[in-house]
Amino acid sequence: MFKLRSPFHPAPLLGVLAVPGLLYTATSSRAAETTVSTKTARIGSATRPSTTKPTTLSGDQKILHTLNRLGFGPRPGDVETVRQMGLGRWIDQQLSPESIDDSKVEGKVSRLTTLNMPANQLMLAYTADTAAFIKNLVKEGKIPNGNDPINNMPATAGQVTKVDTMQLDLKPEQRRLLDMVENSGLPRGLSIQAVGELEVSKITRAVESNRQLQEVLVDFWSNHFNLDVKKGPVRTLKVVDEREVIRPHVLGTFRQLLGASAKSPAMLFYLDNARSTKEFTTPLPRRNLRAINQGFDKNKAARKSRGGINENYARELMELHTLGVDGGYTQKDVQEVARCFTGWSIDRQTGHFHFYPFLHDDGVKTVLGHTIPAGGGIQDGEMVLDLLAAHPSTAHFIGHKLCVRFVSDTPPAALVDRVAKTFLDTGGDLKQVVRAIAYSPEFFSTAAYRAKIKSPFEFAVSAVRALGGQVEVPDPTLQFGRVRLLVDGGASVGQGGGAKGLLRRFEKGRGRNSLAEEVATMGQPLFSYQAPTGYTENSQSWVSAGALIARLNFALALTGGEVSDANISLSNLMEGIPTDNHEAVLDRLSEQLLGGGLSPATRDTLMQQMAPGTPANAAKIAALILGSPEFQRR
Amino acid sequence: MMDVSRRVFIKQGALALASVGLGPACGPYFLRNTVFAAEPDRSSRATGGRKVLICIFQRGAVDGMSMVVPHGDPYYYQHRNVNGIAIPRTGQDGVLDLDGTFGLHPALAPLKPIYQAGHLAPIHACGSPNATRSHFDAQDYMEAGAPGDKSVADGWLTRTLLHCPEDAAKMNSVFRGVAMTSQLPRSLQGEADALAIPDLRTFGINAANAAPVLPRKKNRSMAMGDMQGGHDTSAAGGFEALYDDAVGDVLHGAGKETFEALKMIQSINAKRYMPASGAEYPRTRYGDSLQQIAQLIKADVGLEVAFAEAGGWDTHVNQGSTQGQLARRLQEFGQGLAALYTDLGDRMADVTILTMSEFGRTARQNGNGGTDHGHATCFLALGGNINGGKVLGQWPGLAPEQLYENRDLAVTTDFRDVFGEVAQKHLGVRDLAAVFPHYQSSPDKFRGVLKA
Repeated sequence: MFKLRSPFHPAPLLGVLAVPGLLYTATSSRAAETTVSTKTARIGSATRPSTTKPTTLSGDQKILHTLNRLGFGPRPGDVETVRQMGLGRWIDQQLSPESIDDSKVEGKVSRLTTLNMPANQLMLAYTADTAAFIKNLVKEGKIPNGNDPINNMPATAGQVTKVDTMQLDLKPEQRRLLDMVENSGLPRGLSIQAVGELEVSKITRAVESNRQLQEVLVDFWSNHFNLDVKKGPVRTLKVVDEREVIRPHVLGTFRQLLGASAKSPAMLFYLDNARSTKEFTTPLPRRNLRAINQGFDKNKAARKSRGGINENYARELMELHTLGVDGGYTQKDVQEVARCFTGWSIDRQTGHFHFYPFLHDDGVKTVLGHTIPAGGGIQDGEMVLDLLAAHPSTAHFIGHKLCVRFVSDTPPAALVDRVAKTFLDTGGDLKQVVRAIAYSPEFFSTAAYRAKIKSPFEFAVSAVRALGGQVEVPDPTLQFGRVRLLVDGGASVGQGGGAKGLLRRFEKGRGRNSLAEEVATMGQPLFSYQAPTGYTENSQSWVSAGALIARLNFALALTGGEVSDANISLSNLMEGIPTDNHEAVLDRLSEQLLGGGLSPATRDTLMQQMAPGTPANAAKIAALILGSPEFQRR
Repeated sequence: MMDVSRRVFIKQGALALASVGLGPACGPYFLRNTVFAAEPDRSSRATGGRKVLICIFQRGAVDGMSMVVPHGDPYYYQHRNVNGIAIPRTGQDGVLDLDGTFGLHPALAPLKPIYQAGHLAPIHACGSPNATRSHFDAQDYMEAGAPGDKSVADGWLTRTLLHCPEDAAKMNSVFRGVAMTSQLPRSLQGEADALAIPDLRTFGINAANAAPVLPRKKNRSMAMGDMQGGHDTSAAGGFEALYDDAVGDVLHGAGKETFEALKMIQSINAKRYMPASGAEYPRTRYGDSLQQIAQLIKADVGLEVAFAEAGGWDTHVNQGSTQGQLARRLQEFGQGLAALYTDLGDRMADVTILTMSEFGRTARQNGNGGTDHGHATCFLALGGNINGGKVLGQWPGLAPEQLYENRDLAVTTDFRDVFGEVAQKHLGVRDLAAVFPHYQSSPDKFRGVLKA
């Protein structure tokens, strides 16, 4: 029987938590449903007119709903497991991911070599792959081509054929850089491989992690603080961002997460704060210029030789990360916030955040009516983050966005208000905020049930999970694995056409796509949304004719064994079901993939897809169910 | 909701059927075998008055001064070395002179006759008023049609489609806006519900997954059924029926459009297309995308805005001169444009092709035989209604003091002056302020790209 655990219950939430229906367990379900029904009925009729659905969710529907929202959908047997342990206990466990053993999936992704690579090496890998003079040397055949792993594969990881740089006609600075690349032992092409590894790790964890809520939240916050691997060194620095900024903080306080993001080298580059400086009265000396220029873009540094603020981060910080576009800030606030963050930049050697006092504007600033005194140095930025993280607009903006992710595209205002209040009352404790949503009657309302369309990523992951599938993690120390990772990375970076050709050779001409490529084809290339807004949380926007084709084809490819890194065994799923019993085949598949609940019309349609007197094609029926309107929803 | 706002092309299908003497009751299934097959002479007809805009984005910032060479500007050969990346003024490999001042890159030879016919106009020194030299930001600003403003969520072509006047000749269809790309480009994102079709030949259910499938486990007693044979083609019918059942669901509408679009595309029979008048498209992704745009136009599916892209213009290193890296890219680029022009024939009366790139490149060549990120570049406009046969725009000059920040060709034509003129004069958009936020549009700013 589920028990309330006091540390997680802030006072304002007790009223909500006291509704017993929310703490559904196998033994208390009946009482629970009657208690909730009046409330859900009201909400249901407010958001969805003329619905003839029952006004309350059944016990199993609640489980299914929770697995679809706080996780990436059920795997075979999950509903039964949650039924046994009690839904409340499952939710609480998910809110404390450290209490859940996840060594199996972490073991699988640990073979990916760049995920734990230090920031300076990742920076170097990016430079090695993009420096014009190195590309030139590759083109002239003077150093090996990293995008051709078949001909340039080290015998073992870390063992790279050394280039004798003295033989090459190079400027001293170029020689120094090339020596650094050569001595690091990093194979070329590693920056694209790193993106591939990031994608594979994200997909693998989403499919196989037992810490489902954590992975959903990582997906949410990684998208909230969007970065695009197509923009410069973000390509490799996103690895650091995902590892050190997003993952450790999704259930901490919002202030911690926001602070980590503000100092994320990838974010500093992506939104140009790395180059934002105070204005100088005389042009900067060359040695000082180097600090701003970060070695990425000489032209820009030259142009900005007198420095000056860049408003990009300041604006997005308020518009997208905290207050929201109508959160009550002005253009003047944008400029003042930008001044506060001058000098927040990157140390190009370490690849870490670095504050440059001589680039910082130390005058007095006024932000949202608050005075930031002169001489504050790095504290100016910290004060701004404090202000923003505790602002009521932020509480509302973040609360609303989370409700859109977890509840519906148009969450009831009363729910958003309560969640925003929890945010403010708990000092932005994200665990309590998510908890407030997960235990709300609105979350379990019939109006919310299957109301969200899955994003392509959610669709792909939930399909693999529903089929009881596993992800085959490529081994980057093997040629085949490396080529696959280059292809995956290429799908997001927008390069790597050559790697796809190599992959075909390995696959003997079969042009199979990986899960990452399929998700990209369906319209959501991972870590690759160009605009700082990230992908929209409004699920209706995923509905379009072109996108649907890609989903149907994915469903067919997946069940037909044509997705290269998805290990699917339909035979396990169909264990004990005779193929000539069409009813039984359909029952098993609809139960496994949709948790039952096929409408009579859909059921009839599917029955007609099996020719009488012939054995059922389980792969085709499974594909039809995965491609059906019902499975597009969560 | 979706069904009301977009008059699905069943309507149009019905019209098309009526035109060959079949009643509308026959439904779209008939289209496959009747409409297009029954009207072989359609290939010689114009687009029926429907104006079509084809946008081609040169991603990576093309060196406009190598596309349309300012060989008459004395500073050109000072900034660029004939032994380096400059295109010689004379000789067999020299520029293809247009007007004594400008000349086409020799690799763009297929475009010369189009210029001479008065159907091609380069618009030089064109670009963005925003100073960014980031590909990322500059493409974003150009495609949003809003330089410097990151809050504009949809694309300029989307807003153009939404503000096109409605009339009987211009029926809404699922094919109003089509990008020949795997993801919808920024230009077409938003509420116009444009389609992204990477390849017509594989845009279909199961088309790419036709390979026979073997079960991974050989336990034949399980319900594997006829899975060994792979998916049969009836899967498409199954999906269609499922989405047909989902009445009242937003997915029902999307499904309906999807299957209509699929049937329409099947009827086009993309695999057996023969370009007209011996037009030869480059056998590349870029060439394919242009050919397939021509197919959609000829099939009369209601296309109004098409989008394609060509990459490989970021020539920091070893750009080459009359031969080399950039010359190869230009060869493919020009051949594709010329093939499209030839293939569409008389239809070009209603078609405008507009090429664009996020910015240009430095006036001077760099130490690696290439060029770095610059400012203004050159756009090309092709079509029957183009005020062609001359180089449009205002040449700012290449003297050091005339260069932008002493390094780049200065922008004298805001790209919105060109986009705006095409949107208004070609597609009939009246309210340009709704398409280009923060932009004061006025006919004075138009560069005379289109005839009055």
